[in-house]
Amino acid sequence: MLYRVIDTDELSSLIRGFMDDYEFIAPVKADRGYVFEVVDDPSKVELDYVTTITSPKKYFLPSEEVLMRYSAEENEITDYSVDIKPRVIFGVHPCDINALNRLDLVYKDAPYPDPYYIKRRENTLIIGMSCMPGPNCFCNLFGTDEARMGADMFMQKIGDKYIISLSSVEASSTLERYCNPQRATDEDRKEFRRATREREAAFNKDIPHVQEIAMMMDVFHRDEFWTELGNRCQSCSACASVCPTCFCFDIFDRLDPDGKNGSRIRSWDACTSPEFALVAGGHNFRGDNRRRVRHRFYHKLNGFTGSHDYQLCVGCGRCVTACKANINPIEVLKFFDRKGAEQDGE
Amino acid sequence: MESRKRTAPTTLSVMTEQSFTPPLTGEEMMAANPYRPWSARITSITPLTEKETLFEMRIIDDRVREAFHHHPGQFVCVSIFGVGEVPISISSSPSKSGFIEICVRRAGEVTTALHNMQCGDIVGLRGPYGTPFPFEEMKGHDVLLVAGGLGIAPLRSLINNIHDQRSEFEKVTIVYGAKTPGEIMFRQQFEQWSHRPDFDFYLTIDKPHPDWTGHVGMVTEAFKTLEVDADNTYGAICGPPVMYRFVVEEMAKKGISYDRIFMSFERHMKCGMGRCGHCQIGHQYVCLDGPVFNYWEAKNIQGSM
Repeated sequence: MLYRVIDTDELSSLIRGFMDDYEFIAPVKADRGYVFEVVDDPSKVELDYVTTITSPKKYFLPSEEVLMRYSAEENEITDYSVDIKPRVIFGVHPCDINALNRLDLVYKDAPYPDPYYIKRRENTLIIGMSCMPGPNCFCNLFGTDEARMGADMFMQKIGDKYIISLSSVEASSTLERYCNPQRATDEDRKEFRRATREREAAFNKDIPHVQEIAMMMDVFHRDEFWTELGNRCQSCSACASVCPTCFCFDIFDRLDPDGKNGSRIRSWDACTSPEFALVAGGHNFRGDNRRRVRHRFYHKLNGFTGSHDYQLCVGCGRCVTACKANINPIEVLKFFDRKGAEQDGE
Repeated sequence: MESRKRTAPTTLSVMTEQSFTPPLTGEEMMAANPYRPWSARITSITPLTEKETLFEMRIIDDRVREAFHHHPGQFVCVSIFGVGEVPISISSSPSKSGFIEICVRRAGEVTTALHNMQCGDIVGLRGPYGTPFPFEEMKGHDVLLVAGGLGIAPLRSLINNIHDQRSEFEKVTIVYGAKTPGEIMFRQQFEQWSHRPDFDFYLTIDKPHPDWTGHVGMVTEAFKTLEVDADNTYGAICGPPVMYRFVVEEMAKKGISYDRIFMSFERHMKCGMGRCGHCQIGHQYVCLDGPVFNYWEAKNIQGSM
């Protein structure tokens, strides 16, 4: 990979350059935190944030989108197309970049590639930005604290400079056009190493690393723990809404008011919602909160590993804030840490 | 360097038939947008029971129809625009090319709307989806097929395919259980076949009924008299969820290897592509990894049985 270095005061020129050429999306300060939004004023971009309320997932999988239009009278599809704008998403943290890499496995490198997702992914530049962990961050436990792939450009702050890894020619030429990138010196590399170590040391040490979490999910599938979590779950699905890797959806039809034409719509759905596994005839394969909460964590920490060899949790900590019933991966990790200790007879 | 304005949107068209020159093949048309249903005409409607009807359909576009190849055990997603889309298993054999048959139970909005349609009406079809029964692997062996209730719908595709290549198989046994005589589907076909020496039939209903002189009891009753050459037999099961555990147990008791006992799972498949999550069990997607699983695979899926 190609590495270049720029001064931190060149950042605004880079942002302005991207803004001129693309629809520009970056974190901005909102009422209760930070959010990714379309920005046209460089001074509004807030790069010193721990995490945003929701992830950039929404720019690839909108919470609701029209897949096609149809005539209900003829029962046939009518011509319809989706306009996809070339975009830059700026200041994306490694957890969210790794989350996009996970989504790629499901939507792009999959038996039935998803044209809507792929078109958006192809037309979006991802500019990554290093960060320091907050108390709910545990990306280090899932190896998602670094973005080795999935970003066009990744900027690691080292003192008053950024060391930038470049993965695409498009990002690289913008950098050259608006900044004065230099080759990295040995001093820069040392600073890079120092910054990485500093980040590593800053993670919340109370969140346990449970190496064998996938196997534990199988072994303790019937544990009372899941009943306890299920009793607390309010089925609000906030966890799935803020999760950067939750990708389940619903497909349904919505008729226009005239009843003649309509849209086939895809919208976010969550396995924690009560009717998610309901089949025609009325049987619900996950009919209670215990089963639903357990299934969600099972898929995150074991199931996805079984099919894709990665855990589906990237440790961003968003659900820790979003869940009002305190059901989150940290609680699950702590539980299995205790269980593991019991097994050792400690 | 000159600044390149990149703000012009690119357009993704969901219409796949007009958008390309030279024209796409049927396979390419289907792959270009896998969410796009293709118009199909209802060519025949046969009522089977009070609630179930057999629909025969033909995809209108020549290229798509010719590219549509299914295997026994697979399903399609049927659309009635403005109402919705449902997954339904294919009941016809792949050897009946150009048409597919689906057996539909009137259960929800879409299936009710379908029951109100007439011959010549248009529906949307996409698919076929899912992992089928291992038809080629079964060749040269005895086959033991067990169906309960609506489970006969997907199994009929396999049964008819075996029928059309009968000499490729050894002994073929079919056990089919329905609640009442009125709920036996494809009764005429099975009654005609019951005189054939090359199919062993065991038709049973759950409880005694004045119009019934045949077997009474669960499908597991059949195993009391069945002779199974365990090392040479493939089993296939399709029915309501409660049936699997008992029938699998009987097949295993007879000595059929776990990886030769196949079962088709029912879940609510919405996308059919292993993505939307509705049909997920454990780490598997019923629509993609299934609906047909062998018993060994099923045992390894958390929450499957």
